[in-house]
Amino acid sequence: MTRLEATQVVVAKAGDAAIIASLGHPAYDLFAAGDRPRNFYTWGSMGLASSVGLGLALARVDLRVIVLDGDGSLLMNLGSLATIGLLQPTNYVLIVMDNEQFATTGGQATPTALGADLEAAARAMRIASAVTVHTSDDLARALDTRTDGAMVVVAKVAESAPTAKPPNDCVALKRRFMNALGHDER
Amino acid sequence: MTRVAPPAWAAGVCAGVHAAGCRDAVYVPDNPLSHVLRVFEEKYDDVRLSLATREEEAFGIAAGLYLGGRTPAVLLQSSGLGNSLNALTSLLIPYEIPVLMIVSMRGDEGEWNAAQRPMGRAVRAILESIGIAYVTVESADAASETVRRAGVQSFEMRTCVACLLPRRLTAPGGLTPGPRNPEGNEWVGVRPPDKPGSATGVSEEPGRRLGSDPRP
Repeated sequence: MTRLEATQVVVAKAGDAAIIASLGHPAYDLFAAGDRPRNFYTWGSMGLASSVGLGLALARVDLRVIVLDGDGSLLMNLGSLATIGLLQPTNYVLIVMDNEQFATTGGQATPTALGADLEAAARAMRIASAVTVHTSDDLARALDTRTDGAMVVVAKVAESAPTAKPPNDCVALKRRFMNALGHDER
Repeated sequence: MTRVAPPAWAAGVCAGVHAAGCRDAVYVPDNPLSHVLRVFEEKYDDVRLSLATREEEAFGIAAGLYLGGRTPAVLLQSSGLGNSLNALTSLLIPYEIPVLMIVSMRGDEGEWNAAQRPMGRAVRAILESIGIAYVTVESADAASETVRRAGVQSFEMRTCVACLLPRRLTAPGGLTPGPRNPEGNEWVGVRPPDKPGSATGVSEEPGRRLGSDPRP
């Protein structure tokens, strides 16, 4: 399964969910797989997609929040797993597109290439609903699961060259996203 | 167990945060902020407190709260401003996501810890260089209104605004030379024994917990 194929599964299963994408390839693939107003694309702040999604999940308990993160990005903010495990929002799904490399910056290997296990890290931080998937079918099944707490899905993916990029007007991206969720900025 | 009432400045800060409309506060604790947290816990049922592992993460969570329609505050020590810069400059500022920042200062007057001095000295220049407005809370009496106005400015202008809580406000005892400072040198971090400060009861005096005088 390539990252783009995995992202297409996520978009197909998302329904009304909000999707927060980490900068670089995860955001590019989300745009390519299906741009929608309920997508939020980050252009910076590497590592923070999981935190942004967590805040949104806390603010909007009625809304399913899906985060598309990378292995390198999550490793940059590994404490986020502890906070997710602490707060346990049931409407929160963190999907880690684990290609075992910093693909956006040239393919340097990350610790997951040597076996660092992000599912185990999630479990160690009290996130019981943590799984690793290798196929689109397993990813789709994981997204169909409803859990008692936060969910972490480590999707082992092959790198695939992005084919598109979202617009980079950050304020416009934010406004569109907030409006889609029913929040007019004052 | 009788507990000492929280200091007036902390009650004022909380009143200001609340009056500005914040019902979410994401925090990384420090000693002065423990008073603020306690006031929130005891007096403001409607304010949700969320702990983060580090300040950058706190700003990420706050950004998500704002996207979901909330108006968040982030409580941090000034040392954590360094941890926060990438979140501020590549998320909150370019996306115009407002957060009311409550910054407990270290490294300003009354400081005893040399490791706190460089960042403490740099806080204002850093905030200016990235375009974040700040105000200093000068007294307990002024705390509520200063913080409230900063919050209004933040959420109306869609920009982060920082409220700096200097040590002369949050740790006045820290200015009093203590028993380990017979020579009146820079060991001025020692609070008097009856200090009203620490909620934890742990002294900030360097070396005290090590059981030996670090500077004989």
